Amino acid sequence: MTRKSDHQATDFRALNALTRLGREAVDEPTAAELERGLNSLLGRVGPRQSARITARWALVALLGAFCAFLGFEVASVVRERFREVPPLAYRVEGGSVLEGGYLRDSGSGGVRLFFNEGTKVSLTPSARGRLRSVDKDGTRVVLDQGTASFDVARSKERRWLVEAGPFSVAVKGTLFTVSWAPAIERFELRLLHGSVVVSGPMASGDIELRAGQRLVVNLPKAETLITEEKSEEVHDVPSNAPSTPNTDHDLAVASSSGGSPSAKNVPGLNSSAALSAPSPSSRGERKLPWADQMANGHWDRILDEVDRAGLDATLETATSADLFALADAARYRRRTDVARAALLAQRRRFPSSSRSLDATFLLGRVEESHDRARAIGWYDEYLERAAMGTYAAEAWGRKMVLTNELKGRALARPIAEEYLRRFPKGSYAGSARALCREP
Amino acid sequence: MSKRLSQVSLSLVAGTNRRDVSDVELALGLAAGEGWAIAASWHRFAPMVLTMAERSLGSRSDAEDLAQEVFLSVFRKAKTLREPEKLRSFVYSFAIFALKSELRRRHVRAWLSFLTPEALVDLGYRTVDMESRDLLRRFYTLLDRLSPRDRLVFSLKELESMTIEEIAGVMDISVSTVKRSLGHATSRLSRWIHADAGLADVFDTRRWQR
Repeated sequence: MTRKSDHQATDFRALNALTRLGREAVDEPTAAELERGLNSLLGRVGPRQSARITARWALVALLGAFCAFLGFEVASVVRERFREVPPLAYRVEGGSVLEGGYLRDSGSGGVRLFFNEGTKVSLTPSARGRLRSVDKDGTRVVLDQGTASFDVARSKERRWLVEAGPFSVAVKGTLFTVSWAPAIERFELRLLHGSVVVSGPMASGDIELRAGQRLVVNLPKAETLITEEKSEEVHDVPSNAPSTPNTDHDLAVASSSGGSPSAKNVPGLNSSAALSAPSPSSRGERKLPWADQMANGHWDRILDEVDRAGLDATLETATSADLFALADAARYRRRTDVARAALLAQRRRFPSSSRSLDATFLLGRVEESHDRARAIGWYDEYLERAAMGTYAAEAWGRKMVLTNELKGRALARPIAEEYLRRFPKGSYAGSARALCREP
Repeated sequence: MSKRLSQVSLSLVAGTNRRDVSDVELALGLAAGEGWAIAASWHRFAPMVLTMAERSLGSRSDAEDLAQEVFLSVFRKAKTLREPEKLRSFVYSFAIFALKSELRRRHVRAWLSFLTPEALVDLGYRTVDMESRDLLRRFYTLLDRLSPRDRLVFSLKELESMTIEEIAGVMDISVSTVKRSLGHATSRLSRWIHADAGLADVFDTRRWQR
């Protein structure tokens, strides 16, 4: 009996000893392990989230399109059934209509016309125009100078006509801005939705434009240019924004004498790529700062923008914050060449900034997977410049680990001792103690 | 030179220092799908999840995989967290659920295979000697023979030093069930240790009777 209880006591003691061993054998993950895990996690979160968001938006868009189509069809049927054209009426804001239909601006916001059929016309403050006729058949607006935006309600019964200098625009249901600069005889039309037919002194005769196209006619140069604009860029344009008449050099010359009957039919103009205006990124325009995109997890967008604009150009023009965000995005996407280039550019262009110092440490992290000796060099430089810096503990720890791997324990041990002296509770303390303890 | 408070790469993700955010802010950030919150929650809770999983599974690589799954689930379900101040418990509950699933999966796989696979213990032990590693391998072989629930209860009690009530709470079972599972696991493990000649020899030397 006593022997059995002795055995049981021994067994429980053994179990306790084993569980104690199991408890003590597991160390906390190191900072490097945590970062590796985080990188792996970010690589999995990004695609899943974006795929889910994309799918969700695609579904919403599909449903929206279906509802819009259904609504449009129902409305058409109803309208056909109960056709009775109401008289056209309008009200004026920001000005008044004088004798002869002259639109007079009374403030700084420009004249705005609201028609009872749903059409809106908006003249920019410097624009001059006239409301030539408003009757049951339709409306004629004359733009003498400046820019006006038109949001014309689709109507089978009424016809909208906009005249700008020698050009006339026959409008169906559509949204567009039109500019006329009489001093330089430059006509511009940006079509956001729908379609219009433009008539004027163009050798090719009438031009039919479709959504997303931009027509620029420069009469003195006898140039007719049609460019495709990306839909998001088109939507970003304020509806009443004045155009910039001196941007011809931005555009490809489509036709100087032969004219362009339509974007689809002009010889040599059928490629939208050849005609397209520079993309937002290539002109240095961005929707969000990269730091914000980074915070939102849009690393791929940053890298896509860099790919479009060119890495070299980006490295020379990006701000310090953008370079840092780019380096992070590239590191997370394991594009170490881009990360390295961004960090080096950060050091070169902003040598006295705190980010330059951080870049020195991060260069070490980037180099670890390629050239560990070089990585140690970066850590040394960082520690020399910032012995008490943000990443000092991490730099000492990484240097200790790499030295152990490359040069052996004997050389790593002094680094471990130094680490323990400086950071006795640091995340590399366990490894440092093990190095110091082992013979 | 400006000096940052954080020593982790968290600030690199967000562009600002997010180390001091509260659990509530973190939970709200996760619910909003903000990138900085992902990194911050990982740095705050991953050590807890990783060490618990490693002790329970006896494998660092399995623990890392499990931690990834746990955090992906947490991020996916963050919007369902009604009390943001309970983010830690929220993460913990996902970890327990994942551990339970993993142990169950292992158990089923062991049943389905003709040969019982040798326990692959790859703990991140940096400081234990070869003899201890061998003992640990045998210990985890014995743990593998327990049912998933008994093993998890035993691990949480003995390896994670949780109380009976805490275990009942996180595993969503009654206190009496925890006690019964724990007693069952302890008695079986003791019996198996007694039957293991190698282990008995080791402990006969009284080396471990500290």
